[in-house]
Amino acid sequence: MTVQCDMVVGQITNNQNMTHTHRPTAILTERVITPHNGLDAFRDALHSLVRDWPLTRALAWRMFVRDTKASYRQTFLGYVWLLLPALANTLVWVFLQNTSVVQIQAGDVPYPLFVFVGNVLWTAFNGALVNAMGVIDEAKGTLSKVNFPHEALILSACGKAILNTLATAIFIIPFLWLFPIRLQPTFLLFPVGIVATTVCGMALGLIVVPFTALFTDLGRGIHLMLRFAFFLTPVIFTVPASGWGHRIMMLNPATSLFVTSRSWLIGGESPMYTEFIFVSLASVVLLFIGVITLKVSLPHIIERLSG
Amino acid sequence: MSETLVKVEHVSKKFCRSLKRSLWYGMKDVAHSLNPWAKSSAENDSPQQDSVLRVDEFWALRDISFEVRRGECLGLIGHNGAGKSTLLKILNGLNRPDAGRITMRGRVAAMIELGAGFNPILTGRENIFTQAALLGFTPEEIRLRFDAIVEFSELEDFLDMPLQNYSSGMKVRLGFSVYSQLCPDILIIDEVLAVGDVAFRLKCLNAIGEMMKSSAVIFVSHSMPQIFRVCRKLIVLDRGKTVYSGGDISAGVSRYLDLAETGEPSVTGSGEATVRHVRASSNQRAVEAGETLTISHGDELVIEAGIAAPPAASDISIEILLWNAEMIPVMELVTSSLSSFPLVVDETGLARSRARLHRTELGPGKYSVTIVITNADNSRVYCRHDNLVYLCVEADAPSGASVLATADWSQPA
Repeated sequence: MTVQCDMVVGQITNNQNMTHTHRPTAILTERVITPHNGLDAFRDALHSLVRDWPLTRALAWRMFVRDTKASYRQTFLGYVWLLLPALANTLVWVFLQNTSVVQIQAGDVPYPLFVFVGNVLWTAFNGALVNAMGVIDEAKGTLSKVNFPHEALILSACGKAILNTLATAIFIIPFLWLFPIRLQPTFLLFPVGIVATTVCGMALGLIVVPFTALFTDLGRGIHLMLRFAFFLTPVIFTVPASGWGHRIMMLNPATSLFVTSRSWLIGGESPMYTEFIFVSLASVVLLFIGVITLKVSLPHIIERLSG
Repeated sequence: MSETLVKVEHVSKKFCRSLKRSLWYGMKDVAHSLNPWAKSSAENDSPQQDSVLRVDEFWALRDISFEVRRGECLGLIGHNGAGKSTLLKILNGLNRPDAGRITMRGRVAAMIELGAGFNPILTGRENIFTQAALLGFTPEEIRLRFDAIVEFSELEDFLDMPLQNYSSGMKVRLGFSVYSQLCPDILIIDEVLAVGDVAFRLKCLNAIGEMMKSSAVIFVSHSMPQIFRVCRKLIVLDRGKTVYSGGDISAGVSRYLDLAETGEPSVTGSGEATVRHVRASSNQRAVEAGETLTISHGDELVIEAGIAAPPAASDISIEILLWNAEMIPVMELVTSSLSSFPLVVDETGLARSRARLHRTELGPGKYSVTIVITNADNSRVYCRHDNLVYLCVEADAPSGASVLATADWSQPA
């Protein structure tokens, strides 16, 4: 026993020698914890956002890798599952259209191509929104035990949404090959459209997440509403020319993003540039506000979650 | 004097008993904190505003203040629900206090629960990377220390196995190994060492001991020997309030033990015999059943008992046991042949015994006395009286040991 102990102690001393050589001799950072609200809290959040940025980036990458690997490791098909939901959704609507259950006008663009591109954009929007709304719930266990820069959760959620969208978007290429159309040079702008759509979804999700984390009612309600939102957004059809459907869709901020992005890629609709630019800029601002809001409100939420 | 790294000033925290209300208050607090015109309480003119409890709220922490310097270890003890974990969470920046101010200087490492953030599907190797990033290692640091982490964990052969196939002890090893490579200025430890096998626990304690030399440590434990071993200062919490704060560890620990509710007297066994009366005495002081006798270390102790038994029962004997506050038997009063004492029952059915201990060499703390009446070969328990009387031993010694035996010390020539 004594021999064993000596050995153990010896090992530790070695390790410690190693760590001590790496010990940074920087000036100690001072952190003051007080109950603070309003402007003070915003200023602190902003400050730590900038200060922790290198750490956040590294951590977000790790979380992204962890979650992505973990979600597909237990499958045979692996990352193919990233694509399947959008493909299945497209097949449903192509089937309904072909069997004349529904009659949808998609201009002069082949309908399967039109629906698939719509679904790619919906994947971006919906994925970002759902991922953003899940950031707290998913990390509950870690949040109440480890102190880390929380914006890493947002960045990692963003990464997951983008991966999801990219994996789906790649299959636009075989669709273009199956249903050939004449591409306009504007197709190069399509990625911009995807980014704007993702940012919009992310921003909307982040704004509500402090409240959905406490009472789950709002979250459940939003998940219900997203089913309707699918039909209130020009995913599987174009914006109607008139009527109440037209009016509701024009109120939907995502409409201009969908219509403009899709028209860039495959044409067929008239792009809504003014609305697109306005919604994109507003989304960026909202996303920033969402990040700060979440940072300020998280301590209050963690406290309620962990009892 | 070394620098002060942790400074806690008048910290208070409210908690809510009801879940629905708690969530609602949470909503209000979130809304309040997001209101840009809301004043921070630090600059608030009326401090009373924060000290108002809403319906169903109570103080989980009330007016806690202390300081910890580099190289110092502060022990934090208290019974369940005293507010220890709440205080640690506030110190770690997970929760915000409702009043007061905390200043933390330097890198903080908090071992509140090992393995938070682990993913069961992923391998040990992948989990090390995530865990290290979560604890604030830069990618460069992870690369440099990965081998040291693996070496510390002694899990080389299992690195590529999914974590869900690890035993609980192995998970703890992996979790702690990542922490072992931190060099924090402030170290917060919450009873994480209560798990794992003996050899690894020793290794962890040694690693923590090394970290302690160069950091300010806040240590929560229910193990008094550990508290005595590492702490130089002690805070005893009871229902959110500080009931002891200072550098006298044994005084603090006995304050903590005083807070423990003494067990209710209980009688079990076949009931053929019962203890009619009991008397514990020392230096002219004496107490009866249910009372506490306070003695100093080394004092004489006499325990007398009167037992009612079946008349002329021939094979009846008595055992006296002393338990410490953690319900561990620390002493049994036996005869010179190391057996229980045979009783002689008179014709009225009464038997008497008297046990005299010349020197009570127990460590400081609270003890309870149990009397057991059995037949001679111990195969039948006639009665067992737990928590019959209590003993409070006072000793001015900084020790967590159960027995403080005085030995004859000398220096051999």
